[in-house]
Amino acid sequence: MTVMSHISVQHPASTTRGDHVARFLRNYYIYFVLVAVVVVLSVANLDRFDLFERGNFLNPSNIINILRVSAPLLTLAGAFTLLMVSGYIDLSVGSAMSLSAVVYALLAINGVPFLAAFGITILVGVGLGAINGFLVARLKITPVIATLITLSLYKGVALLLVQDGVSAIKSGGGLSMPGWFNSYGREGVLVGLPMAFWVAVLVTIVLVIAQDRTLLGKYAAATGGNPTAAKLSGINTTRIVFLLYVIVGVSAALAGIARSSFMSLGDPLSGDGMELSAILVVLLGGTAFSGGEGRVLRSFVGALIIMALTVGMLTLVPAYYQTLVLGSALLAAAASNHLISRKEKAS
Amino acid sequence: MTGQQPSPVLAVDGLTKDYPGVRAVDNVSFSVEQSTVHCLVGENGAGKSTLVKMLTGALRPTSGSMRVGGSPYEPSNPSDARAGGIATLFQELHVVDELTVQENLTLGMERSRFGFLVKSDLDDRVVRTLAAIEPSIDPSARVSTLSVAQKQIVEIARAASSGASVIIMDEPTAALSEREVERLFAVIRRLREADVTVIYISHKLDEIFKLGDAVTVLRDGKHIATKKLSEVAGRAELIEMMIGRSVLQTYAPRSTVTDETVLAAEGLTSELLKDVSFHINRGEIVGFYGLVGAGKTEIARALFGADRVSGSIRFKGQSVGRSPKGAIASGIALVPEERRTQGLFTSLSIRRNISVMNTRRLSSGGVFRSSDERAAAVEYVQKLSIATDSIEKYAEKLSGGNQQKVVLAKCLFADADLLLLDEPTRGVDVGAKTEIYDIIRQLADAGTSVAVFSSELEEVLGICDRIFLLFSGSVQAEVTNGPDVDPASILNVVTGGGAHAVQ
Repeated sequence: MTVMSHISVQHPASTTRGDHVARFLRNYYIYFVLVAVVVVLSVANLDRFDLFERGNFLNPSNIINILRVSAPLLTLAGAFTLLMVSGYIDLSVGSAMSLSAVVYALLAINGVPFLAAFGITILVGVGLGAINGFLVARLKITPVIATLITLSLYKGVALLLVQDGVSAIKSGGGLSMPGWFNSYGREGVLVGLPMAFWVAVLVTIVLVIAQDRTLLGKYAAATGGNPTAAKLSGINTTRIVFLLYVIVGVSAALAGIARSSFMSLGDPLSGDGMELSAILVVLLGGTAFSGGEGRVLRSFVGALIIMALTVGMLTLVPAYYQTLVLGSALLAAAASNHLISRKEKAS
Repeated sequence: MTGQQPSPVLAVDGLTKDYPGVRAVDNVSFSVEQSTVHCLVGENGAGKSTLVKMLTGALRPTSGSMRVGGSPYEPSNPSDARAGGIATLFQELHVVDELTVQENLTLGMERSRFGFLVKSDLDDRVVRTLAAIEPSIDPSARVSTLSVAQKQIVEIARAASSGASVIIMDEPTAALSEREVERLFAVIRRLREADVTVIYISHKLDEIFKLGDAVTVLRDGKHIATKKLSEVAGRAELIEMMIGRSVLQTYAPRSTVTDETVLAAEGLTSELLKDVSFHINRGEIVGFYGLVGAGKTEIARALFGADRVSGSIRFKGQSVGRSPKGAIASGIALVPEERRTQGLFTSLSIRRNISVMNTRRLSSGGVFRSSDERAAAVEYVQKLSIATDSIEKYAEKLSGGNQQKVVLAKCLFADADLLLLDEPTRGVDVGAKTEIYDIIRQLADAGTSVAVFSSELEEVLGICDRIFLLFSGSVQAEVTNGPDVDPASILNVVTGGGAHAVQ
């Protein structure tokens, strides 16, 4: 395959056509999928189902509604991508999100002002991420096992905090949620979209820059691509991985805040299944399960697709089919991801 | 030696490394001149890799000292070695496929401000270094799009631009095509012009004559000579230094060899093998001797059906070579090279390991008879004198020699008529080695055929009745063992010296 004269300069040696196709697919297919999903949902006239009373899919209020609901997943997608690029995974994100939601709601209902409640919840996220990072990066426990354990632990704590017989922290019994609690996730502040959505956008922008412009982004790719090479180059992979878990923890806390304020309650089960959605979104965005490869922005688009589909599905298929559909989509994403990787390896 | 006396870039003095019971490197002293290609040769087990591990900081010497550029050098890990200016090109490549060439070149050396990458002269420097040694590689290309040879050059460029004054290359041509080897040589020559010293380890003597300025020969852990290659008369002199006169002829012709062919292989061809044909008789011990990458393991795996190759393999008249399951069923057993990862269940007991290939013999109607399993284990532990206090001992707790005996027992229990032994005594101490050779001879005397795939000349000359000499995937010659076999001419063949005049 190598056919190089010694004279030619500035040409990658063995880039074949198949390689270009695979790269192109990996880079851009997500945008085509987004367009396709929007077109299909627009054509499948949702009006007929009389569920939204908002007319066509492309109706502004419908779009705003979808983006509002999407905020938690959009917040999570970028950090989860970076973690998977480094070859690791966090199954506890859903529980971390639930716990953060409960803590945030508890603080709010007990009169703690917005910024303090927000800050404390983020610190909780730092702590939860640090625990995962400690177990995985320091103690070298297999990521799936370690975060499966914390999935159970974090959820357990969240349930304990809501122990007085009610199912969630919400207004009632003499206490009531302050007004700002709900408006963070629902009330439009810019082009009709709430704070929670703009925080998700901000987080994504920060992580896109981190991926392209910082040592963290490069070292995450090196750690996931070839851990031995990374270590031999003097990179402290333990620290990189720990840091990435903390970032995922913070994102989970932000996602929990977004979810609880959208629902106006602190539900200890609100993050259930979020780890699957996050994996789905990241795989859909073309991130390699084996690490090394993946883009923050593509996962963000992947999250938009999933949320559009989820909301669209509400009108098309009964709710109890949704988990099955989610699983099937995950299978399809994983399979196509695997096929693209294999094509890249082969060429 | 010459008029000009530049101080050596690397000097080792009285370097010794002891392992329990073995002195792997014994009082080795030599020095490497700056801007030369210094070759390191020796047979397997001569101590080359132990020496390299001490140079790279992977091992601490038992005694002796090293100096780099005149100052003491005591690396205790690979990053110490890097800091001392010594970089190593390992056989497995350490590049990140997902990053670009340039990102790989600067990996770990980036300039940054508050964690943000900043442009610096480093980027220009690495690109210039790369352009100087191999202009055809695009710095912005992703490494996954490069060939193995190009990735290797990227690693060399990284070592060179990190300021290494010495680059150690361990068998760098093992995975390269002829054309790529030429390119690598050009790169190495350009490095030399840029005042980088290369320590080049290879079994291929032609490469050494083509490339080297000086050569150091090791044998049995001892330093035999360091010479300018211009002062080495030729292959014959080098080979003589490598083997000395120490090859003991312990082979005694065996009377139990028959003429009855049990296995015939015709025209085996794969990516690595080139038209390999041979036959093995009943009760015969056949050797396949060649250096790393000559195709020994490939032949063993092909016979066992672990890899598919074209050509035909007939065993006792039946066609085999399609699957390990079929091979076991027809009576072929393989003792793989990687004992711990491929031959043994280290987390199972001796008893469970021995029975694992032939559980059918121990069960009736799907019910497993533990008492028979225990009896079989006891029988083989005694037969092969496996040193253990219990058959319930986990295989991972045994010494290398005893582990190998367990693997052998496993194959024997499977009623094999043909045993394929890939490097059967690697990592086994001398006492156990002799015992394993005795077991092999007894088996052959009892009518089992044995194929030994080995890169140790002493081993094949010690036990094999016939020896096939391999070089780069093809059988170069067949030797019938006997007192008049000349080890030097065998070594000449397997290092690429052509097949003529073996006997």
